[in-house]
Amino acid sequence: MKRIGVFICHCGTNIASAVDVKKVAAVAATWAGVVFATDYQYMCSDPGQELIRKAIKEHRLNRVVVASCTPRLHEPTFRKTVESVGLNPYLFEMANIREQCAWVHAKDKEGATAKAIDLVRMAVAKAERNFALSAAKIPVTKRALIIGAGIAGMQAALDIADSGYEVVLLDREPTIGGNMVKLDKTFPTLDCSA
Amino acid sequence: MVAAAQHPQIKLMTYAEVENVAGYVGNFEVTIRKKARSVDASKCTGCGTCWEKCPTKVDSEFDLGLGKRKAIYLPFPQAVPAVPVIDREHCRQFTRGKCGVCQKVCPAGAIDYNQQDEIVTEKFGAIVVATGYELFKWEEVYGEYGYGKYPDVITGMHFERMNSASGPTGGKIIRPSDGKEPKTVVFVKCVGSRDEAKGKSYCSRACCMYTAKHAHQVLEKIPGSKAFVFYMDVRTPGKAYDEFYERTVHEGAIYVRGRVSKIFPEGEKLIVRGEDTLLGRQVEVAADLVVLATAMVPSRGWEKVARMVNLATDKDGFFQEAHPKLRPVETFTAGVYLAGACQGPKDIPDTVAQASAAAAKVCNLFSRDEMTTDPMTAQVDESLCSGCAMCQPICPYKAIEMKTITERVAGKQVSRQVAAVNSGLCQGCGACTVACRASALNLKGFTNEQILAEVDAVCL
Amino acid sequence: MSVAVQDTTWEPKIVAFCCHWCAYAGADLAGLNRLAYPSNVRIIRVPCSGRVNPQFVLRAFQRGADAVLVAG
Repeated sequence: MKRIGVFICHCGTNIASAVDVKKVAAVAATWAGVVFATDYQYMCSDPGQELIRKAIKEHRLNRVVVASCTPRLHEPTFRKTVESVGLNPYLFEMANIREQCAWVHAKDKEGATAKAIDLVRMAVAKAERNFALSAAKIPVTKRALIIGAGIAGMQAALDIADSGYEVVLLDREPTIGGNMVKLDKTFPTLDCSA
Repeated sequence: MVAAAQHPQIKLMTYAEVENVAGYVGNFEVTIRKKARSVDASKCTGCGTCWEKCPTKVDSEFDLGLGKRKAIYLPFPQAVPAVPVIDREHCRQFTRGKCGVCQKVCPAGAIDYNQQDEIVTEKFGAIVVATGYELFKWEEVYGEYGYGKYPDVITGMHFERMNSASGPTGGKIIRPSDGKEPKTVVFVKCVGSRDEAKGKSYCSRACCMYTAKHAHQVLEKIPGSKAFVFYMDVRTPGKAYDEFYERTVHEGAIYVRGRVSKIFPEGEKLIVRGEDTLLGRQVEVAADLVVLATAMVPSRGWEKVARMVNLATDKDGFFQEAHPKLRPVETFTAGVYLAGACQGPKDIPDTVAQASAAAAKVCNLFSRDEMTTDPMTAQVDESLCSGCAMCQPICPYKAIEMKTITERVAGKQVSRQVAAVNSGLCQGCGACTVACRASALNLKGFTNEQILAEVDAVCL
Repeated sequence: MSVAVQDTTWEPKIVAFCCHWCAYAGADLAGLNRLAYPSNVRIIRVPCSGRVNPQFVLRAFQRGADAVLVAG
């Protein structure tokens, strides 16, 4: 059974001035699978996130949709929020009703609200089909290969090696130094290149 | 250079080439060919007896033919490591099967004519590509400058070698043809750069400054000399750069705005004919030496490197960074970073800055013992996969390989091929899912079902 | 047909598939700069324009979209 919670953010007046957030929440509440829908001033704030956590527990939510800014901004934030109360972060979905709705349709409240409803419906439809994903852990070999031992290669090698990691500095020529060692004094300070 | 050689954490692998790169971020397996030096590096003391006694003389690549080297040689006296190599193409022991002088004189017994190329495979977590640049081959296209026929028309790099105290002329600026000191030196900028007809469309960025330096060096080293600089524009966008250029002008360098249309010999001199576009007239300078500021182009073999490490290149062969402004040292292959002129022409300060940036990215990667991969990767439903392998060439990250699975069909063991996604390499673009005719591939987090549900929801 | 031409209130329904890394970011930037455009565009985020299966486009038309934009 999918138990979806929908959270509509005002973003102060950023969203609320163009989108009728209460209406969006009210419409969302009527959809199948949505067991909880509400709106709040700042979803990303501490109280906002707490509201989500509480709702997950109280309503036994297993999918969460937040309609707020672009997922490019706060998707990681909300994924952590749901994870903190034991929900898989990939069961979370976001609807972008700020950058791609409220801000670009500021003078068309009716249109913006209708669009916001569509975007939330879209996110809910997607969330219904989300499943838990787990990130794989892969080990890191702490050893760097640098191909080319000119100025760039030598500088990178020194910086990495100074941080305590092993470096292999490779060059096809019999010597390191690259083009740099062919140069005499270098501009603008006229110091030597070696 | 010495700092890099002496650092306990840096292992030098010179005279070596990368043959193959497998694996993915944090876990690369790199096959390296260590070319046979014909000298046992563990025994060699770098004493130099071998190259002193070697009877074969060859043009030095390092000095661009301005000087000679032996068949067993160090590219230059301060080379690191100070272990010579035998140039098997010219060494008499290899070409005629007899000589053996170096072996006889080597006090350490380090000469080994039977040494073979050695192939090693090593593990790395990150790769920095710093393959640099070489100079545009102007001799092939600039007929008006003599196709390289006139010995006294040289490149800036030749000029650098002549100026070097340890170079072939001991730091003296001379005419390669007769060894005389030139009194009038003409510099021609943008040879191959900003010349779409014959060369490259881009600006090589360092030439304006090194030409100013060269003109300064002529005026400083040769009393009573004249330095002319033919230029299209003077580009000095760096800290203390314009001041440096102004200083050269004040020292007496004569800057002429215009292209050189022809260089031809007349007696001992070279006549440089060009246009002064500011005065709107033709000018001719009788020069003793002409120095061309040739374009920087990617170092030979860039195609091979691009293919091995899976790097995108621009139209000129420079490696493509992941984002021109926001991710300047990263590439589309996770764990592979760019530093220096292999990404685009640049001068020393920019190169050093970029190299340090690449190093910071590597250190950032190494600061964790293990890394979490984004789980939104492609996934194969093996029961649907027909093994057609259409997805394999589509994948821009080489993340798909075919594997054999064995299953029981009607009581019999049957083996067949199916696609397998390496989640370490997969970047989650989903291109494979579209190529898959059987819909066996799906992208976790952006599944076909999810996107279709979104389409349905939005079209309601 | 003539009715449709004269009906000035009609607005097309546009579905846009935008690549998360470029076109979607561009749409965000349009918002950031408060550039106004008609509200009849609905953006579906995809991880790459290469992810857009022709099937998705056909499905959008099937369900009544008047135009489909794939941007990446």
